Amino acid sequence: MTTGQVGAVRRRAGQDPKTWSRRFVANNGPLMGLVVLCVILEFASHHVFLTAGNLSNVLVQASTIAVLAFGQTFVIVAAGIDLSVGSAAGLTAMVSAWMFTSAQFPAGIALAAGLACGVVVGAVNGLAVAWGKLPSFIATLAMLSIARGLTFVISGGKPIPTPSSVSFFGSMIGPIPVPIIVLAVMGIACAVVLNLTVIGRSMYAVGGNIEAARLAGLPVKRILVTVFALSGLFAAVAGMVIAGRLQSAQPGAATGYELNSIAAVVIGGASLAGGVGRASGTLVGALILTVINNGLNLLNVSAFWQQVVMGVVIALAVFIDVIRHKGLSH
Amino acid sequence: MATWAGREDPSAPTELLRLTGVSKSFGPVSVLRGIDLTVHRGEVMVLLGENGAGKSTLIKLIAGIHRLDSGSIQFDGVPVQFHSVAQGEAAGIATIHQELNNVPQLSVAENILLGRLPSRAGFVTPGAIRRRARQALARVGLSDLDVDQPVGRLGVAHQQLIEIAHALDVEAKLLILDEPTAALTAEEISALFAIMVDLRSRGVGMIFISHHLDEVARVGDRVAVLRDGDLIDVVPADTDQARLVRMMVGRDIADQYPRHRQTDGESEVLLDVEHLCQGKRLLDICLRARAGEVVGLAGLVGAGRTELLRAIFGADHYDTGVVQVCGRRLASGRLRQGIREGLGLVPEDRKSQGLVAQASVRENIGYATLASTAHAGFVDRAGQAGRAEAVARRLRVRMRDVDQPVADLSGGNQQKVVFARWALAGSQVLLLDEPTRGVDVGARVEIYEFINDITAAGATVVMASSDLPEVLGMSDRIVVMNSGRIVGEIPADQATSDQVMALAVRDVESPEASGGANPPEVSGETDRAQAPNHGDPIKDGGNR
Amino acid sequence: MRKLHRWASVALSAAVMVSLTAGCSNPADGGSGADASGKVALLLSTMNNPFFVSIRDGAQQEADNRGVSLNVLDAQNDPTTQANQVQTAVANKATAIIINPVDSDAAAAAIRPALDAKIPVVAVDRGITGVTVDSFIASDNVAGGKQAADILAKAIGESGEVIVLEGIPGASSTRDRGQGFTDRIKTYPKITVVASQTANFDRTEGLDVTTNLMQANPGVVGIYAQNDEMALGAVAALGGNTAKAVKIVGFDGGDDALADVKAGSMVADIAQQPKLLGKQAVASISDILAGKTVDKTQSMPVETVTQDTVDKFTQANS
Repeated sequence: MTTGQVGAVRRRAGQDPKTWSRRFVANNGPLMGLVVLCVILEFASHHVFLTAGNLSNVLVQASTIAVLAFGQTFVIVAAGIDLSVGSAAGLTAMVSAWMFTSAQFPAGIALAAGLACGVVVGAVNGLAVAWGKLPSFIATLAMLSIARGLTFVISGGKPIPTPSSVSFFGSMIGPIPVPIIVLAVMGIACAVVLNLTVIGRSMYAVGGNIEAARLAGLPVKRILVTVFALSGLFAAVAGMVIAGRLQSAQPGAATGYELNSIAAVVIGGASLAGGVGRASGTLVGALILTVINNGLNLLNVSAFWQQVVMGVVIALAVFIDVIRHKGLSH
Repeated sequence: MATWAGREDPSAPTELLRLTGVSKSFGPVSVLRGIDLTVHRGEVMVLLGENGAGKSTLIKLIAGIHRLDSGSIQFDGVPVQFHSVAQGEAAGIATIHQELNNVPQLSVAENILLGRLPSRAGFVTPGAIRRRARQALARVGLSDLDVDQPVGRLGVAHQQLIEIAHALDVEAKLLILDEPTAALTAEEISALFAIMVDLRSRGVGMIFISHHLDEVARVGDRVAVLRDGDLIDVVPADTDQARLVRMMVGRDIADQYPRHRQTDGESEVLLDVEHLCQGKRLLDICLRARAGEVVGLAGLVGAGRTELLRAIFGADHYDTGVVQVCGRRLASGRLRQGIREGLGLVPEDRKSQGLVAQASVRENIGYATLASTAHAGFVDRAGQAGRAEAVARRLRVRMRDVDQPVADLSGGNQQKVVFARWALAGSQVLLLDEPTRGVDVGARVEIYEFINDITAAGATVVMASSDLPEVLGMSDRIVVMNSGRIVGEIPADQATSDQVMALAVRDVESPEASGGANPPEVSGETDRAQAPNHGDPIKDGGNR
Repeated sequence: MRKLHRWASVALSAAVMVSLTAGCSNPADGGSGADASGKVALLLSTMNNPFFVSIRDGAQQEADNRGVSLNVLDAQNDPTTQANQVQTAVANKATAIIINPVDSDAAAAAIRPALDAKIPVVAVDRGITGVTVDSFIASDNVAGGKQAADILAKAIGESGEVIVLEGIPGASSTRDRGQGFTDRIKTYPKITVVASQTANFDRTEGLDVTTNLMQANPGVVGIYAQNDEMALGAVAALGGNTAKAVKIVGFDGGDDALADVKAGSMVADIAQQPKLLGKQAVASISDILAGKTVDKTQSMPVETVTQDTVDKFTQANS
C-alpha cells in the first residue's frame, strides 16, 4: 500500500460516525426509499409482505427486470440508451427454443446459441452507434422492431417449449430458485465489470465526456461496441429466465420491458446524461418496481389505480434523487 | 426602445453601488466574509483574486443569482435585494459571464434581444428586432455584422461581443464582466477595452474580472483584491504588479514566468513534423522540437494552432505530410499510437475536451494508463491510486483526496490534473493548447514549474497560447502561425510582442511573407540556464 | 445543445418511419407488403397471442376454401397502427375489411374511411362502439363468464376462497367475462372472491400475480383467469404439485390450455372457437359480397371443456 492510500484511508476513517451515517443515507436515497416502501407494505399487508416465501417471490420476479437493467446500466453509464433489450430477451429465448425443437440441436448448444444471439444483437447496436454514428436511441429502436419481428418469424406467432438447458433457469437448486441465483451472479458480474475492469472504468469516461475520453487515448468505438454487446448478453440471460419460468419461449415475451429496465436504472441513481450509475443502485431500482407490483397485488388494489401508483412512485423516486443532489451541491 | 443616453448629469450622485458587510456561505463553507466595497459611476473596478477567492460569488450576489446571508447592497442610492437576474437587469445591472450564454441556433439579432424580443400582440416584429440589434451592435463596434446569421457560426470573440451588445441593449448602469478577455486575441482585447473606455465616459460603472495583471492598469481605475473570501484591500490600478500578486496569493511570487532555458540546439529531435497539410487549415507545416525545449506557438485565433496540435496528436486526420515522434513515424489520425510513442495533449478546453467532470481526480489522471497497467482486463486499482496520488502531489493539485470528483476543483487544479495524466503516462512530447487559460497566478506558476521540470528531464513541449507575455516568457523559441502557415520563428530572448504580432497579423498572401515560411528548425541563441534538477521527474510516479 | 436538437429530429422521423413500417408489415408470414388490392383485409389486433393466430388460421382456411384472397395485417396492439392500416386498405381498394379492433372506442373513428368508401366491414371478437358494421361476430363472453363460475364452483365443491385474474383494464372482454362470472358466483353463498387483480392477459404477469396473490391468500382453492395465457401463468406459478389442489379455469380454448386441461393441471377451459370466429367472418364477408344478408350480430357459442370433453372438442375443431 502506498503512503497516499494510507493517508486517504486514515482521512476517511477519521470522519465521525454521524457524518458517515448521514453520507450513507445521502448516497443511498433509493435504498432508503425501498426500505420505507417495505416497512409500509409489511404493515399494510398485515405481515404477509416480509415472509420468507414472499421475499423469495419478489426476488424471483425482480430477476428478469434486474438482469435487463444490469445490462442497461452499462449502456446508460456510457451515455447511451438501449431500447432493444426487451425484444432481444424475447428473440434469444426463442432462438434457443427453436434450435432445440425444430433444428434438433442439443440443449446446451441451443442455450449457447441463444446467448450468442444476444451478444450479436447488442454488437450490431454498438456498431451502428460507434461506426454508423447513429444515436443509440435510433439504432436500438430499429433493433427493437427487428428483433421482435424475427421472434415472430421464427415462432410463427406461437410459443415454443424450451429445452432443458433453458428450463433450468426457471427451476430450483435445493431450496433456492435459480432466478435468484442468476440475479446474484449477473449483479455481481455487473458490479465487477463496472468497478474493476478497464472496460468498465472506460464506460464512465466515455459517458462522462466522450471527447475527453478519446483525447486521453481510450478506444471509444471499441468500448461502445462492448457496452452494447454486454447489454445484449444480459438481455439474453433475462430472456432465458423468462422462458425458463414459463417452460416455453413466448413470442411476445418481455414486450415493453425496455422501459422498465431504464426506469430501474434511473431510479437507482444513474443519470441519463451518462457517466453515473452503479450496479447496486440498479438492483434497488428493479426491486422497487417489483415490490410495488407485489405490494399492490397483496393489497388487492384495483387495476386502474395500480397504473397511477406506479407512475407516481417512479416520478417520486427520481424527483427525490434530484432534490437530494440539489441539496448537497450547495 | 433601446436607449443609450449619456449619463453625464453632474448633479447625479457619483456613488453607484455600495456593499456593506456582505457575507455568504454555502453550507459549512464560508465563501465571503464582511465585504465592504463601493463602485462609482464611470469607474472600472477590477476584481482580482485567485480562483476560489470569492470573485464569482460576489458578482453573483450583485447580479441577483445568489442571495446574501448578511450585509446589504445599495444600488443607485436605494437598498436592494434582488431575487432573480431579471430583477437585477431591470434595475440596470448587466452581466457578461465567462462562459458564453448564446443560443447558437438563433440569429445574432435574436440573441441580442433574447428574453425581450419586441412583439406586437404576441407576434415578433422582425424589423424592430433588426433595428434594435444593429443599434446595440454599433456600440460594440460591429456595425457591419449580418444580424440574421446564426450566432453559432461566429467565432468566440464575436460571440462575446454579442453578449456585451445583449447587455447594453438594456439601459445598464452597472456592467459586470467576468473574464471577458480569456478567449480573445490581443487585438480583440484592445477593441473591447476601447468599448469599455467609451462606456466609462458615459458614466457606466463596471466590475471587471481578469487574471491578466497587465490588463489591470490598462483599463482599470481601482483594484479590489480578494483572497479566501476576504477583501484584502482596494488600491489604485497603477499599483505595482508584484504587490498585487502578493496581495492575491498572500506570498511573494518572485517570477511570473520562471522559465529555465537550457537547450543548446543540438539535442535529440523528439518531434519532427514535415510538410503537414490539412485542407485549407494547415498549409505545409514544418516544425521540429528538441529534447529540453519549449516551442511557443503564437498567432491569432483561427491561425491554425489548435488544428496543428490536434493533427500532430492524431485527434484529427491530415491529408499529407509526415509526423515523427522520437524517431518513429505516426500514421494520420492514430491517436493511440501517438500516445504510445510519447505524445500527450493538454487540449484547449479542459471542460469539454480534457476532463470527465463526474469522475474522480484519480480516474482522470489514470485514463491514459488505464489499459497499459491493467492485468487481464482488470484495473490495477491500488497501483493507479498510488501513482495518481504521487503525481498529483508533485503538481501540487489542491484536493481533499484523489477520490474527490474533479469537477469540485478550481480551474487551475483541474488543469494540473490534465497535466498529471500525461506525467503519469511518461509523455516525452507534450502538446499544450492554451495551457493556462482561466488559471490563476499561483497555479499558473506551478504549471510553469512543471514545464521546467519535464523539459529539464529531457522532454519537449509545444505550447500554443494567445497569452503573449506567457509565450514570450516561457518559450525558448517562438513560432508564429498565420492563416494555416508558419510565417516566422523568433528566439524567445530576442522576441518582443510587437515582433510577434507583426508576423501574426501580416497579410500572408503578400510576396515578402514567403520569406518567413522556412522550416523553423534553427532555434537561434537561447539562454542556457542550467537545469535545476536531474533525474526523470515525468516518469516519477512511484512511492515515496 | 445543437447536437441534441438534431438527434431529436432524427429520432422523431425515425420513430415515425418505424411505426409506419411496423404498421404495414406482417410478422407472421414474413410480410406480404401493404398491397391489399382486390383482397379482403384481415386487420388483427395482435399476433402476439395464439388466440388471434387461430382466428387468422380459421379465416385463412375458409378463405382458401372459397377462393378469397386474404391480406393479414397485425396492429401490434396499437390503435393508431390499426387506424393507419384501415386507411391503407381503403386506399388500396380492399374489397372488404375484417377487423379485430385493438380498442373498441378507437376503432369507431378508425373504421370511418372504410364505411365512407362503402367497403363491407365485419368486426370479430371485439365490437366497435357506436358504429353499425355489416356484422359483429364474437363469442358470448358474458355467458362464458357464467359458465366459468359454474364449473369452478362445481370443482371446489361450491365453497371456499377464489381469486380472479383480470384482463387488460377497460377491455370489453375483461368487462364481459368479469361481469358474467361475478353475477353467477354470487349465487354460491359459500364462495368468496378474495382478490381480483389484473395480469393484462399476459402469461408472465399471470405467473407473477398468481404467486403474489397466493402469498396473501394461502387458503385459495380456485382461480378464474379471464384468458388462457394468464391461466397458463397461474399453472406455472402453482407448479405441478399444487395445481391439482387449486382448481384453475381458463378462458379462450387455446391449444396449450386444452393440453393442460387434458393433463389435469387446469380443471376446465371456457373454449371460444377462434377458428370458428375466423371462418364465420370470412363466410359472412363472402355472403355480403355475394349480395346475401347476414345477421348484424352473431354470437358464437363458448363451450365448457373439461378433462372428459377435451378430446371431443379438439377433434371437432381441428
